[in-house]
Amino acid sequence: MKTVIDAHNISKTFNPETIPVLAVDKVHLHLERGEFTALVGPSGSGKTTLLNLIGGLDKPDTGNILINGVDITLLSANALIDFRLHNIGFVFQSFNLIPVLTAKENVELIMQLQHSKRASIEKRVRALFQEIGLEDKMQTRPAQLSGGQQQRVAVARALAPKPQFVLADEPTANLDSKSAANLLDIMAKLNQEENITFIFSTHDARVIERARRVITLVDGQIHADTAHVETNVAHEGFSTNK
Amino acid sequence: MNLILAWRNVWRNKTRSFIILASVALGLFAGIFVLGLYEGMIRARVRTVIDTEVAHIQIHHPNFKDDYDPAFTIAGQAQVSGALRTVKDIKAVAYRSMTQGMLATATGSAGVQINGIIPDEENAVSSMKKKIIEGDELDLKKKNGILIGKKLADKMKLSIGNKLVLTFTDRENNITAGAFKVAGIYQTSNSPLDERNVFVNRATLNSYLLIGEACHEIAILLVNDTAVEGVKQSLQQRFPAYSIQTWRENSPETDLMVSTINQYSSIIIVIIMIALAFGIVNTMLMSVLERTREIGMLTALGMNRVKVFVLVLAETVILTLVGVPLGLLSAWITILYFSTAGIDISSFAGAAMSGFGFGSIIYPEFPIASLQTVMIIVVSTALISSLFPSMKAIKLQPADALRQ
Ligand SMILES: Nc1ncnc2c1ncn2[C@@H]1O[C@H](COP(=O)(O)OP(=O)(O)OP(=O)(O)O)[C@@H](O)[C@H]1O
Ligand SMILES: [Mg+2]
Repeated sequence: MKTVIDAHNISKTFNPETIPVLAVDKVHLHLERGEFTALVGPSGSGKTTLLNLIGGLDKPDTGNILINGVDITLLSANALIDFRLHNIGFVFQSFNLIPVLTAKENVELIMQLQHSKRASIEKRVRALFQEIGLEDKMQTRPAQLSGGQQQRVAVARALAPKPQFVLADEPTANLDSKSAANLLDIMAKLNQEENITFIFSTHDARVIERARRVITLVDGQIHADTAHVETNVAHEGFSTNK
Repeated sequence: MNLILAWRNVWRNKTRSFIILASVALGLFAGIFVLGLYEGMIRARVRTVIDTEVAHIQIHHPNFKDDYDPAFTIAGQAQVSGALRTVKDIKAVAYRSMTQGMLATATGSAGVQINGIIPDEENAVSSMKKKIIEGDELDLKKKNGILIGKKLADKMKLSIGNKLVLTFTDRENNITAGAFKVAGIYQTSNSPLDERNVFVNRATLNSYLLIGEACHEIAILLVNDTAVEGVKQSLQQRFPAYSIQTWRENSPETDLMVSTINQYSSIIIVIIMIALAFGIVNTMLMSVLERTREIGMLTALGMNRVKVFVLVLAETVILTLVGVPLGLLSAWITILYFSTAGIDISSFAGAAMSGFGFGSIIYPEFPIASLQTVMIIVVSTALISSLFPSMKAIKLQPADALRQ
């Protein structure tokens, strides 16, 4: 198995000068290629902050984050943007897509930023829309798509640059249960068939059910991790994976 | 794609884009129009100066202008006029005699400059005849006819047919006086000039001055304005003993006015540009702030700062590229219209303008010469103003921006 994310002892405090909030507290996180991991925990437990740190959207105060062997905490701001472009796929909670671009253009945009060749963009985008089952919506603007369809396009966009892993912060939070299930189906299929690594935060029990690994955050610390269920957490009776 | 994105963003908020486009167009329009107006004023003023006041070139005895002593006539006048006839740039020549004196009526008196002219000659050089608003031009047969300005006529309560007395000194320094009868009243756009200058037949004035056929001033009108320096140079070479001056030297106040007006127009353009800059900075800043989340997301996905910067800048560039031709076109059409119709400002500034020697109807001219400069100023103002919102956009931190 190949390590994709290796975070050591990362902490993040907001407003250190005024009212300090310790959002992520000495977290160790290790993710292998092909994992399908849910990040859960109460509101304010630090899920978004942790995802932002490992996604290179924010810098930790302490600790190191290795993505595919590269310590992203050492990268300059510009290098980090470029690193994100080539290594990390993002799906956000809502308003993921650029409203003035069609679904297809939204996906193409990322590959164009990568300077991919026209032909290969065309081929890959078509294949991705096939995967998400929206070939007939390629020319549609986001406003004409349902919330679930928009999130599927966002997944396609996240996958377009062939990232090391895909980060999704509450991707189903604004979806009805049917669309949520559908999105999870697609993500799970991509994970199984193409070995794409996913880590997503969620509050939704039905989404948590689908995860193969569940990490529980409480007050910025990893409270439970089903990858170590048998060894560490089982005796605390914490099992969301059932 | 970046361009497509910028282009579509332009259409996103049509009102806002329209404001920027209109600001650019209006800024350019206003800039060109102001320049056009001033250019028209300057040209008209210069035209008036040349056509009704000092012609292109004047020749005097070098001491004459010191205190208008009638003794300083132009010696060798025949030789000069012979030479002038051979210069092909010269359109017409008038020989004038003149002196300073006192105009008196039963009720009052005023200091005047008395110009002795030959009507036909004068009409070829100046358009004074067209400025006569009452009565007729001078008649060679009516020896004591006099033309006075409207302002002087009003002040001295003179009308056509009224008598007046001119008192002045002759070439022997004896005081002499003559009775004249108002033949015509003229009005130019230069009221101080109207108040000072009266015109009589040259033969009449010369006989009082005891200078025979001599004259004090040779006024030369050229075929076109651009030849003025060249003709002056060549005449000066041939007749080094005379004082030969162009309209710029003979009407230094006009020269000064031209440069003052140029300064005013730069100030007005600066003000217009500041307004334009504020408009663009505000509107684009609003546009960036409204899209904070979206721009944050693009940065998160891996769009680098240069591209984000260009994306925001490109919106203004596109709007500027559309606004510039619109502004140009509207300015051109407006100026074209008013260049023949004229803009009548007499109702609010006519008197003031006339005090400075300007007509009360302005015929703006398309300011070809300064067009390029105005365009560069407008375009760079627009671009510089959008740098600030663009900077704002690249300063957005993706984690913060996405939280919104
Ligand atoms: N930019 C910030 N400035 C100050 N405090 C912040 C900031 N971002 C997050 N926090 C605080 O850090 C803590 C963790 O926030 P975070 O958004 O990571 O939680 P979360 O688990 O994602 O919550 P939710 O389930 O509501 O999305 C919270 O107490 C939050 O108020
Ligand atoms: Mg969150």
